[in-house]
Amino acid sequence: MNGLVAGYLPLFDIYLIHLGLAFSQYIVLRAGVFSLATAAFAGIGAYTAGIFAVNLGLHPALGLLAGTLTGMAAAIFLSVPLARLRGVYQAIATVAFIQICLSLNIYSENLTGGAMGLNNIPKTVGTGTLFVFAALATYLIWAIERGRLGRAFNTIRQDEAVAASLGINITRHQMLAFAISGALAGLFGGLEAYHSYALDPNQFGFHLLITALSYVILGGRNSVVGPLIGTAILIILPEIARPLAENRMVIYGIMLIVVINYLPKGIADTAIDAIRARRLKARGDAK
Amino acid sequence: MLAQQLLNGLVVSGVYALFSLGFTLVFGIQRILNLAHGAIFMTGAMVAYYVVDSGMPLWLGFIVAILASGLLSVLVEIVCFRRLRKTGDEEFGGIISSIGAGLVIMTIAQQVSNTQVLRFPFETFPVVIFKFWGLRVSMLQLFMASAAIILVLLLGYYVYKTAFGRRIRAVTDNEHAAMLMGINPNFIYSQTYFIAGALAGAAGVLVGLAFNSITFLMGEPYLMFAFAIIILGGLGSIPGALLASLVFGMVQTLTIAYLPSGLTDTIIFASLFLILLVRPHGLLGKEDAGNLRGRR
Repeated sequence: MNGLVAGYLPLFDIYLIHLGLAFSQYIVLRAGVFSLATAAFAGIGAYTAGIFAVNLGLHPALGLLAGTLTGMAAAIFLSVPLARLRGVYQAIATVAFIQICLSLNIYSENLTGGAMGLNNIPKTVGTGTLFVFAALATYLIWAIERGRLGRAFNTIRQDEAVAASLGINITRHQMLAFAISGALAGLFGGLEAYHSYALDPNQFGFHLLITALSYVILGGRNSVVGPLIGTAILIILPEIARPLAENRMVIYGIMLIVVINYLPKGIADTAIDAIRARRLKARGDAK
Repeated sequence: MLAQQLLNGLVVSGVYALFSLGFTLVFGIQRILNLAHGAIFMTGAMVAYYVVDSGMPLWLGFIVAILASGLLSVLVEIVCFRRLRKTGDEEFGGIISSIGAGLVIMTIAQQVSNTQVLRFPFETFPVVIFKFWGLRVSMLQLFMASAAIILVLLLGYYVYKTAFGRRIRAVTDNEHAAMLMGINPNFIYSQTYFIAGALAGAAGVLVGLAFNSITFLMGEPYLMFAFAIIILGGLGSIPGALLASLVFGMVQTLTIAYLPSGLTDTIIFASLFLILLVRPHGLLGKEDAGNLRGRR
């Protein structure tokens, strides 16, 4: 039993880190912003934390704090121009942002190690720390969902005109969603840096964007359970289907197409809706 | 030196134009950003390679590649977008769905090519270099430029001068009204996707010949550049995409020639960002940026 747990521990670590990134993607979509910039924020956070540890030799806690803050600062900075755009245009702008970060990263070799990546980062983060942070992030998202903020986000996503007529400041709320997204991505990027010894610039490119997005799409975009389940399925699936591991990306691709076409709300949300409908019906029958 | 660079830029622009015209055509008609377009471009190059590899002449490879990528593009439309359009969630869902399609196509290509760089056999395209006025032009460059110009002209004729093109433009303008006029939009969509895919496939073969290196990842940078091009030209605008391809090909060639090479991408995407902020509907686009829902 012990061997089994130890064998799957690295997988669990990956799950916890990616959960944070999934929440970072989730919170912007929830606020009605079609931003795909999570990968860039995670890269910024990871590199800040890595540079703090390698070049400056500072304590990991400081590095994580710095990673979170720079991620958040980048997100707030990005949210100002993005407030002027909508829909597809926001998506394109954030993809451009990822490309800018990526190419700047490769260009500034002295600071980030360029295409060689940042190596020899001391490993200071274990499963325990990851679990605590992932739990905190889950709680944060859950608390937002239950509170006034979550309802405001819902209103903005469903209809901006209605939200504005109810006195919800759209720009400020979307900026807030961005700040949370950037902070989460920065934090979990930093955790990734302290967990994996080395960083590679291409780690935070288009691929991570697709991965984070798939977690949220598959799980669901309207409840905190969505990213939890989506991340779990997409991380565990390649392990179960070992023979298919080479075709992992085919599975991802087919799943994206099938889910968005036939379960547009995602697995968790569809299930939750079905349960609710059943309960309502049961209550109706009782009367 | 400058004249030579401008000439090279012109050839590059032609390839960009072929790639981004299909991209913008699809966006104009369906409001869908087809992120599988890069994979379709790559398919064109690969099909041409395998046809040539099996001993057939290059011209046959070119035609087969164009047909194959056109059909693949139609398949992507039917599998990924047709259902989404009925539910009315194509703006968000289309991006996700086409990312999925791109992943599937690229992974299959990776398996087929064993993750290797494919190269056309030597002298598949005769290496002949013309010199005039101090400029050097290869036969291949001439072929690329003329193929691009011919295909663009054909597209222009098709869209603006024929009855088919009139139907396409009618559906672009207002799908519902076009249906009332007896146009079957699904047929028009298939046609548009075929044209878009065929153009991308042609661009793929040209790029494959020019750099003589074909990998399953070759579509990605072009997809990213196409973003910049169609934003600059205005999403959905055909003349805009042409103009923007020209500007973009020139700027890229010149920045690579005269500026530190690592910064090319930064400059390109930073300027894309600025264009989005200052003029989101691009140079020649209509002013409906951000309001994409009011069409149906």
